[in-house]
Amino acid sequence: MSSHIPIVARKEFDDAGRSKLLWSLIGLLVGLVVIGYTAIWYTVDDVTAAEALSFVGTPLQVIIPIAALIAGYMAVVGERRSGSIKLLLGLPPNRTDIVFGKLLGRTAVVGLAVGLAFLVSLVLGAVFFGSVPFVDWLGFAAVSVLFGTTFVGLAVGVSAGVATRGKSMAIVVGLYMVFVALWELLTAGPYYLIYDEGPPVEPETWYLVLDQFNPIFAYTNLANTIVEGSIFPFQFQYGLQSTEAYGLTPAERYPGDAPFYLQDWFGVVVLLFWLVVPVAIGYYRFQRADL
Amino acid sequence: MSAIEISGLTKEYGDLTAVDDLDLTVDDGEVFGFLGPNGAGKSTTINMLLDFTRPTAGSATVLGYDAQAESDSISPRVGVLPEGFDIYPRLSGRRHIEFAAKTKAADDDPEAILRRVGLSADDADRPAGDYSKGMRQRLATGMALVGDPDLLIMDEPSTGLDPHGIREMQDLVRSEAERGTTVFFSSHILEHVEAVCDRVGVLNEGRLVAVDTIDGLREEIGGGATMTLTLADGTAEAREVAGSVPGVTEVTASGRTLECTITDPAAKAEVVTALAGAGTTIEDVRIEEVSLESLFTALTNGDEADAAGDAEGIGAGGPETETEVAR
Repeated sequence: MSSHIPIVARKEFDDAGRSKLLWSLIGLLVGLVVIGYTAIWYTVDDVTAAEALSFVGTPLQVIIPIAALIAGYMAVVGERRSGSIKLLLGLPPNRTDIVFGKLLGRTAVVGLAVGLAFLVSLVLGAVFFGSVPFVDWLGFAAVSVLFGTTFVGLAVGVSAGVATRGKSMAIVVGLYMVFVALWELLTAGPYYLIYDEGPPVEPETWYLVLDQFNPIFAYTNLANTIVEGSIFPFQFQYGLQSTEAYGLTPAERYPGDAPFYLQDWFGVVVLLFWLVVPVAIGYYRFQRADL
Repeated sequence: MSAIEISGLTKEYGDLTAVDDLDLTVDDGEVFGFLGPNGAGKSTTINMLLDFTRPTAGSATVLGYDAQAESDSISPRVGVLPEGFDIYPRLSGRRHIEFAAKTKAADDDPEAILRRVGLSADDADRPAGDYSKGMRQRLATGMALVGDPDLLIMDEPSTGLDPHGIREMQDLVRSEAERGTTVFFSSHILEHVEAVCDRVGVLNEGRLVAVDTIDGLREEIGGGATMTLTLADGTAEAREVAGSVPGVTEVTASGRTLECTITDPAAKAEVVTALAGAGTTIEDVRIEEVSLESLFTALTNGDEADAAGDAEGIGAGGPETETEVAR
């Protein structure tokens, strides 16, 4: 029975609470919001609180994954290398408790950091720009916490599935690079090879399905449906697809009514995919590993 | 019921066989010492008992439960001091004990546990990352004691402890044994095991080369000893007298010193009586017993080449001797 998950999660959270990591993550996210809001307030006239909210979405899509990956990539493998996992497994918690307890504990840490950043944005939004669209704000915060959870899951999954810290870091950094720097090459590249042209604004459906599986796109697409203004996904562009297509959601690029798997809310499924699959693979490998 | 039952347990890492077809039974309530040089496979065996490592073949039960399939039933009843562990550097010593108590749903008083393993209240409040190696060992021992386990499994418990700490550890093992706890612990140093164990098993290169009580092992050595006598004058005649005593296999003489190799313990007194009867004045008698250490060395001799100069007492060449001055 895996009844020790909350105990392990609690210990993780306590442990993280004493680490500089948590506080620097919170500092980073909160600082970002403070600086962003102040800068907008100083430089732009006539900004509503809703628009200000969408401005912070741009840096958040970069900072949240990095913060979550840092918080998670050592979760299991770090204890495995130091040997503290033997102390933990010598007690009643088993490997299942460790993986899911850590996932829960580290998610709580990242969730706390993101939550605090949004609380600050609520306060600053009210102070600088008057009324805050509360429902938008809440929805954006929820999506951002989910986005953070996805990357914590990705990192914890990787950390459970490998035997050394270096491998964990390499895989985590590699995946982040794929999402930010290589995604267009990996999706539009094959498209180009198959059809002798880059994806137009209205490409083949399979391309739209594949392209939207970037969790960063999923986040910006979801955020764009919630807040006013538009958050452009941050990524390296190679000019393989038509320039008008950048920043359009899959639903917008689909001719006619988009099927459910191309609608905006499907981004939630994408985020859950990147949460569940790495954890499942890491858990499977960790269960079978010799420690 | 036996506390630990190991049958045919084997662990291979590629070409290397770390544990080779091991059979061993540890009875309920006994203190069992698991001996062997570094790299003999002790930790691998213990890791398989704790399901840290999965066997290539064979199986083991701990407290009647299968070590692999039913490990969740084992861990709440067992206290574990693993080898090569680390503590959580940011959490205090007390928090470690509280955490262990929470996982075992035990209501132990953390202070009492910390006192038992020799950590003060001041130490308990500090982050464990500031602890010395010995203190970490004590803290982990404390975590193992939480919840009054039926079985203590300790891998090299004397690691990082000074001689005083080792004595405290031995006292702790004794007092746990008196409470009815079965103790299974490993060591590469015989004298740490000798003082507290009911039985020992000696592991070498993954194979069990001896399982016996400490007394049984002593018997195996027999009363073997070397007796050195210092005489008042010449030794030529004395050498013949000593050599004629039954149970004396060899006598060498140099100057006023006679060295007799004894196989039967009773021969020692007879040598003295015989020499005195022959009119020789004996100024001093020293008896050097062949120690358990030398048996241990002999049993694990295969590793000698690799381990040369590695650990004191084991790595050295010929039989080690223990000096006793006769009264």
